[in-house]
Amino acid sequence: MLDQYLFIFAQAHEDFRIPELRSIAELHQFPIKIPEDIDVKRPFAVLGLEKEEHARILARRCILVKHVYEFYASATSYEELHEKNRALHARWDKYAADTSFKFFVAGFNQSIPQRRQKDVVESFSYMDFQGKIDMKNPELIMGCFEEYYDKQGTMRHKHEGDGNFREVFFGRLIEDGSARSLVQKFDVKKRAYYGNTSMEAEISLLMVNQTLASPGKVVYDPFIGTGSMAYTTAHFGAFVFGSDIDGRQMRGKENQPGIMRAAAQYGVAERILDLGTFDVTHHPWRCGGFLDAIITDPPYGVRAGAKRLGRRETPRSLRRPISAPSTPRPDDQPYIPPMKLYELSALATDLVLLARYLLRPGGRLVFFLPTVTDEYQEVDIQTMTCEGMELVANSLQDFGVWGRRLVTIRKTTSQDYPPPAFDTAAAPSDDVDGAHVPAHRHFRQKYFQKFRSPTEGDEEGSQRSLSEAIEQVAEDNNLP
Amino acid sequence: MVRLITHNLLACHAKNCNTNNFPLQLKDVQVEQREAEFNPDFLRGFMPRIEWKALVEAAKQVGDTSLPLEQPEMLDDEFLKQLHHVLLEIHIDEGALVCPNCGHVYPIMNGIPNMLLAENEIG
Repeated sequence: MLDQYLFIFAQAHEDFRIPELRSIAELHQFPIKIPEDIDVKRPFAVLGLEKEEHARILARRCILVKHVYEFYASATSYEELHEKNRALHARWDKYAADTSFKFFVAGFNQSIPQRRQKDVVESFSYMDFQGKIDMKNPELIMGCFEEYYDKQGTMRHKHEGDGNFREVFFGRLIEDGSARSLVQKFDVKKRAYYGNTSMEAEISLLMVNQTLASPGKVVYDPFIGTGSMAYTTAHFGAFVFGSDIDGRQMRGKENQPGIMRAAAQYGVAERILDLGTFDVTHHPWRCGGFLDAIITDPPYGVRAGAKRLGRRETPRSLRRPISAPSTPRPDDQPYIPPMKLYELSALATDLVLLARYLLRPGGRLVFFLPTVTDEYQEVDIQTMTCEGMELVANSLQDFGVWGRRLVTIRKTTSQDYPPPAFDTAAAPSDDVDGAHVPAHRHFRQKYFQKFRSPTEGDEEGSQRSLSEAIEQVAEDNNLP
Repeated sequence: MVRLITHNLLACHAKNCNTNNFPLQLKDVQVEQREAEFNPDFLRGFMPRIEWKALVEAAKQVGDTSLPLEQPEMLDDEFLKQLHHVLLEIHIDEGALVCPNCGHVYPIMNGIPNMLLAENEIG
């Protein structure tokens, strides 16, 4: 039999809350009951757990949990609330004699005037708590929360509508969420090393929780860039491997690589196992099946160029014969091989296949996929999964016309699979008349066309040539 | 960086270099030792993925002969501590990894190996 706990969430990244709770419960191997009709837009949720200890674990690890209360009652009026609470007296009788306590009253989407806060507290006087009232360090904190409908955008007086709440919740505080402070700790602006593509702290923490990172696990980021997720992954005890086709991203300008400097700042340098400069489509891993998770934010080709080794298709007549680079080069610089664009949907498909090869059974792939909001369909994510790889979660971070989805995929098979061929031609061909094209395919072109449909009247020609021109420039400046 | 655990996982991946492409030989390496936290569960879990002979040989090249020539069946604490040291605490910061088959030189700079292939080496 599961007990009920009242969870109060931070008002951010609603779509990530449930996957995060499920992941941390799975990591610690305890059941969690989440109502099927849960409305994730609301900051309150009553969830089922076996014991208080599990609630504490969630409060200490989940980034989006602000408080966890033992749930006593919820109602749409105080009469109803008190009636339910009276019936539960066996729960709180034990605190009545001499436990120091305080009552906490708060409104959501509404500030409650102090006078009425006092009235609310006094309305609980039948509980007859005799202990000392202690506002600083009480042994017991009782919380009463009034949730109001969002009235944003309407003109009203601060306290107008006070008391007309949607629902009121009452319970006993078990623990305040303590993982949220990590958002400050990993603030990119305070980091010793970062770049223009560094992932914001809160999201990188949410990503790590999806990987089930814990001490002794091995997690790999194949597009590590400036290492944003490496620090948060290592913070939770896991070892990190990282690679990037562009070594400059990992190194920065000083002798000691930038990622190692930032890792040292967080005290996790020893958990960064190693970094390597290579293209994941031509990777040097000797074998598969040795990773517990892959965590990555692949390049979309917008801010960071999505590149892989190889030369872009040119007419046969213009091709130069391929030969070994002359060494040493006259300018004494390390040889930089040519690179070509890596189309996002091909990259995503390859990434899932690579994960199936590199992960242990039960291991997870966690990555972001940008999608065009109007074109997105549920099936887009399913088309990326393959035999032995199962979708666990899919959370949207909405930016309006586009968004990015944090996709979590679990390796369900214990069979060994060969490494992927990274053969882009094998990707399903698009432009079949009437067929749905995944909303992340050709994301780069769509982004630079400002997500206008290519069939939008006369502009079509000019837009297309512009995006081609951008692409041409990007490729001509063939930097890694 | 470039710890021996990583060295044990890297093979030459140039086009048509499929045999005798592991382990990569250590060349002109500068080695440093840095302490790491001991996690016996991690070591036990990772053991099956280790190519033992390659690890013993690489450890010998950087001056550590503490590992037995055969992978032991009994994983006692003393052995795990030696394994921990060899896998995680020996760092190659400069030098190169060289493919024993095709001779490709993968340089290591400030602890990061450059494993990029040239145009003529990719399939």
